[in-house]
Amino acid sequence: MSLVTLFLHQKKALAGLVIVVGLCLMALLAPIIAPGSPSARVGRSHQPPTVEHVMGTTKMGRDVYTQFVWGARNSLSVGFATGVAITVLGTVIGLVAGYAGGRTDAILDLATNAVLVIPNLPLLILLASFSGTVGPGIIMAIIALTSWPWGARMTRSQTLTLKERDFITAARMVGEPAWRILFVELVPNLMPLIGINLVGSIIYAIVAQTTLEYLGFGDPLQVSWGTMLYNAQNSSAIILGAWWDIGAPAAGIALTGLGLALINFTFDEVANPQLRSGPALGRWLRLTRKRNRLLEGR
Amino acid sequence: MRLSSKRLGVYGIAFAFAIVMNFTVPRLMPGSPVDAMIAQLGSRATPAAIEAIRARFGAGEQPLWLQFLDYLKGLATLDLGQSVKYYPATVVEVLGRSALWTLFLVTTAILFSLAIGVLLGAVSAWRRGGRFDTIVSPLSVVMIAVPPVIIALTALFVFGVSLRWFPVGYAYDPNLDPALNAGFIGSVFYHAILPVLTLSPYLIGEFQTTMRSSMISVLGEDYVTMGRAKGLTPAAVMFGYGVRNALLPVLTNLALMLGAVFGGSIVTEIVFNYPGLGLTLYTASVARDYPVIQGQLLLMTLATLGANLIVDLLYAYVDPRLRERA
Repeated sequence: MSLVTLFLHQKKALAGLVIVVGLCLMALLAPIIAPGSPSARVGRSHQPPTVEHVMGTTKMGRDVYTQFVWGARNSLSVGFATGVAITVLGTVIGLVAGYAGGRTDAILDLATNAVLVIPNLPLLILLASFSGTVGPGIIMAIIALTSWPWGARMTRSQTLTLKERDFITAARMVGEPAWRILFVELVPNLMPLIGINLVGSIIYAIVAQTTLEYLGFGDPLQVSWGTMLYNAQNSSAIILGAWWDIGAPAAGIALTGLGLALINFTFDEVANPQLRSGPALGRWLRLTRKRNRLLEGR
Repeated sequence: MRLSSKRLGVYGIAFAFAIVMNFTVPRLMPGSPVDAMIAQLGSRATPAAIEAIRARFGAGEQPLWLQFLDYLKGLATLDLGQSVKYYPATVVEVLGRSALWTLFLVTTAILFSLAIGVLLGAVSAWRRGGRFDTIVSPLSVVMIAVPPVIIALTALFVFGVSLRWFPVGYAYDPNLDPALNAGFIGSVFYHAILPVLTLSPYLIGEFQTTMRSSMISVLGEDYVTMGRAKGLTPAAVMFGYGVRNALLPVLTNLALMLGAVFGGSIVTEIVFNYPGLGLTLYTASVARDYPVIQGQLLLMTLATLGANLIVDLLYAYVDPRLRERA
């Protein structure tokens, strides 16, 4: 069964895919579905949603819907790019450390632990507050360089377990070169981990970026969901009851996370049959239950 | 105990990394943090205070290695400098005031979520594919996906501002004097409810997910089949054979998550105006109070290091195979 059909057979993955693709399309089509500048003043201050302004206006009288659509561009592109960078770094380092062992492992593991135990957000705040306001590029780099150890450590420990298995020993005895064992024998068995790592890293990157921007370290001239939250917070939107001002970017971030997480759920099931719970595995589940009943003597 | 001495070395080097970061970042950054801080001091900028700041942030006359030695000497004597915003209070005083609140908040949230998450994960793995599993597991996924900022703002708006069920700020009623009586303790817990509930969904979701997938692979092991075959009760197999072995990845995950939990608590404290380390860090970063920001990074690094060390020791306890091999 191909990846595509499996995805289409999984309701959760399909729902997640629809959400994420929908949001990405919205970001791409921003000039068409929300024409005009997101920073233009188009109405009175803090107007509730109307037909004219479907998501209301901000304190500065800007259209929340336009900002929401354009903000998706920055938030999603930074999130996805950072997520990919985190995953590549983490997987390669974890794989090499776990398989090579010895001194290579000791050095890489040391680096992993050193970066891992330094809490990201305080480190990000230290770097950001010394460098003043920073653009998306620097935020991306800081997030990627501080958060790869999570995946590296998981990949390493999984590699350590896998390399003790018979099929790796067999491959080594046959005389397979190290790169082939790494990428042909090990990587396919690590796929659920890599997939989870990728989607998890994207979620993490979006959360971290939003948090930094919410705290005021983003570039205030770039419209993104994080800076929208920051502006709404600064204009006391919550106390004034302007829920739409906070609600729109909050819903955008929550939806993105939800969609990605639903996809993540399926990565488990695609590559690790043991974890499957979908309809394709009804037969296997039935047989297991029957076996268990027999064993429990019921 | 060979395990812990080797790991101690790793953590020592990690801590040194944090110290070096703290020392170099202010000296590498463009612009002059020193001038910004002296400007912050305003009328309180006595010549002695200015000299202290200049020396600490590398604007003094000393060569770099002497500055670094001075910095290390300060750390060894717990002298992290003086806060710029709360001058002349020292950084240790400022952080000490708020550290207990964060510790209380984070520990409560972790214990609360650990109990719920592990149980939910174990049960949904045990009845995989059942109704409980199909409802709880996707729900956990949703809970992990929603960042604490969003949960905090929503909770503040719905339960704090609109319904007025819970207070919208501070760690206790400011009209009460801190004392060990029922009224004060009650007020502390009442004020902690929304922040703890804000931190919990992420934790519960993570614990449930890790526990479920780890429990599923454990349940596929031969010794579980063996346990069933020899006629143990399902509860004995589930807890004695399943949960105990499946806890391992949950523990790793807890140590790995701690940084994220601190991140969550920073945001939560800011939204709920809760006087912990996060709020202190935020006010410090707005006021460009660099000594406090640096002290904060060191403190949180130490906390994460400590937690990792505890997890390493627990590991050896939970998994006997690791006692020898490490």
